[in-house]
Amino acid sequence: MGTSRDIAVIGWAQTPMVRHTELTETQLLMQVITDALTPIGLTRADVDFTCLGSCDYITGQAFSFVSNLDAIGAWPPKRDSHVEMDGAWALYEAWLRLHEGDIDIAVVTGSGRSSTGDPSLIYPMEMDPFFLAPLGADPVTFAALQARAVIAAGIADERSMAEVAVRSRGTGDVDTLLGGDYVRQPLRRHDLPPITDGAAAMVLATGERARQLVARPAYITGFDHRTECHNPSFRALDDSPSTRIAAAAAGLGDAPIEVAELQAAFTHEELLLRHVLGLGQEVIVNASGGALRENPIMATGLIRIGRAADHVFGGGRRALAHATSGPCLQQNLICIVEDGEGQR
Amino acid sequence: MTRFVESTITFPYRRSLGPMLSAFMTALTERRILGIRCGEAVLVPPMEWDPATGAALPLDLVEVGPAGTVQSWTWVPAPTEQHPVQRPFAFAFVLLDGATTPLLHAVDAGSAAAMADGMRVAPRWRGERVGRITDIACFVPGEQPELDGDDTGPAAQPVEIMDYNARITYRNPVPPSADRAVELSRQQRLVGMRCPQCERTYVGGRGYCPIDSIELGEEHEIDLAHTGTITNFVIITPVQYPGQTETEPFARVFVLIDDSDVVLAYQPTIELPVADVRVGRRVAAVWASPGEEIDAGGGMGVSLGALIGWMPTGEPDIADPDLVNRIF
Ligand SMILES: [Zn+2]
Repeated sequence: MGTSRDIAVIGWAQTPMVRHTELTETQLLMQVITDALTPIGLTRADVDFTCLGSCDYITGQAFSFVSNLDAIGAWPPKRDSHVEMDGAWALYEAWLRLHEGDIDIAVVTGSGRSSTGDPSLIYPMEMDPFFLAPLGADPVTFAALQARAVIAAGIADERSMAEVAVRSRGTGDVDTLLGGDYVRQPLRRHDLPPITDGAAAMVLATGERARQLVARPAYITGFDHRTECHNPSFRALDDSPSTRIAAAAAGLGDAPIEVAELQAAFTHEELLLRHVLGLGQEVIVNASGGALRENPIMATGLIRIGRAADHVFGGGRRALAHATSGPCLQQNLICIVEDGEGQR
Repeated sequence: MTRFVESTITFPYRRSLGPMLSAFMTALTERRILGIRCGEAVLVPPMEWDPATGAALPLDLVEVGPAGTVQSWTWVPAPTEQHPVQRPFAFAFVLLDGATTPLLHAVDAGSAAAMADGMRVAPRWRGERVGRITDIACFVPGEQPELDGDDTGPAAQPVEIMDYNARITYRNPVPPSADRAVELSRQQRLVGMRCPQCERTYVGGRGYCPIDSIELGEEHEIDLAHTGTITNFVIITPVQYPGQTETEPFARVFVLIDDSDVVLAYQPTIELPVADVRVGRRVAAVWASPGEEIDAGGGMGVSLGALIGWMPTGEPDIADPDLVNRIF
């Protein structure tokens, strides 16, 4: 949907992205929220609403989101919410909340310590409990089946996938990578995301406050998310209709974009998403290295929006961010940020 | 160096199946596979609604298979303990004869070279079937279903419930401040950390002030009294869930520590019968004997280490109507 009120990203921060942190999730959040607020000259007392995105299943502590509240300084009591989703969806909720018009500043976070457990054993338990979880149906298996469909449709091949890996990580050689063993045919190790611990925090402000606080707010001009059937048996895996619908609703076609940050944890997902979104060669995709370089589950999507906002902070006009959740790109979110020149 | 604690959590789920899944699972015990009609389509696995529109589907089940065709597959060279086949196998989308959507399941073909799109496969049934998708142990190449072990026959009653024990092992960091609080407790010290900004005191080695979101260290430590007053309590009648060790009703009390604002939540009582627990009761800390095993922390909640509970001091109760509100 388009927006009726100016709402902008005015800053964000991320923790160091590491394979295995010694900090608790709460400690990660304390640090990253301070890092997001301080450069803008704000304190926790200025924040009217918070929404935290995290997942107890990954953290391994029931109600972990309650101790995460310690990081927001929730006294006197604050308006607060939580999504058991990537922080990109926490951002969506905060954006909706700011539309109510009575408050001006919101903070959202995404946080996860993937190293706490073994992701290959945890994620199957989140699947359909009758048909998939009892089989241990794991995310890499589903990604491989989608990669096969994407290759069969001519959208990718193993070489173009390896090229995505080399470009994202800035290391390696395509021919060498293609000599590696399959983890799940047609996926090799380089087609898979790393395991990363980390968190991100983002500050939103409404129009006037945003313009007072920073020189170039990144206005959210389009924001939408859609989902598909939970079981990949019923989906066309060489397509992503939910991404297409969300992008159209967010106004992708209204004007050119310069930069896209796509939450593609597997190499073929980037190629499929580029295809579905119709991104031409002129669009710079995942200059950050994306989820293939750093994949802090529950924060990876929010960081895509942060990277898109960075483009606007740095003088860019219009950027697209994408976040996803569920097996084989089940649910997809599109957020478009702009410098605001086109609006006023 | 931060210490890590490994813990394994089991989630024993009992799921109601409802009419459609109950019919599907019961049929599995009869070595039959059911799909559901959805317009011209036959959905396998069956769904209660049209995946395209969300419209509820009438319970119009139709038998499919048992053989089918591999639509797509990927080889699993290193199975996990959760996988249905404990040697290298393929996960495959199997389009069962008569179905229009594919079922994900394992194919035990020996090697990736034996797998191909379009190959024919049939179920290998478990001899003992309970009404779960894993009653099909896997699929095998060919047209002929197989039986793995002695056939114990179909379920005597319709299968209406499915047990599923999720099990996860985690490694969580224990902040050094929490370890220190436990270490101090071995010296029979109850130590709090006072925030220099808001002057609130925290126990259990939290290591930060949640109000001001600032780190607290050893320079903020203060020794607290070993006596206090019960502000509130709960009497718990234990439910015998897996892992429950209590069998009789027991109390958990909230204790306001003397000369402080600190309330210790959810504390055990010692030599205090459940019937004698009341708000205002005076209590004193009880410490583990040296060498006694204590909760070293790192599990769920805050560990006070060698502080193992609270017993009555025998002093007169405190009569303060506001006490009951002090749970934080
Ligand atoms: Zn404080």
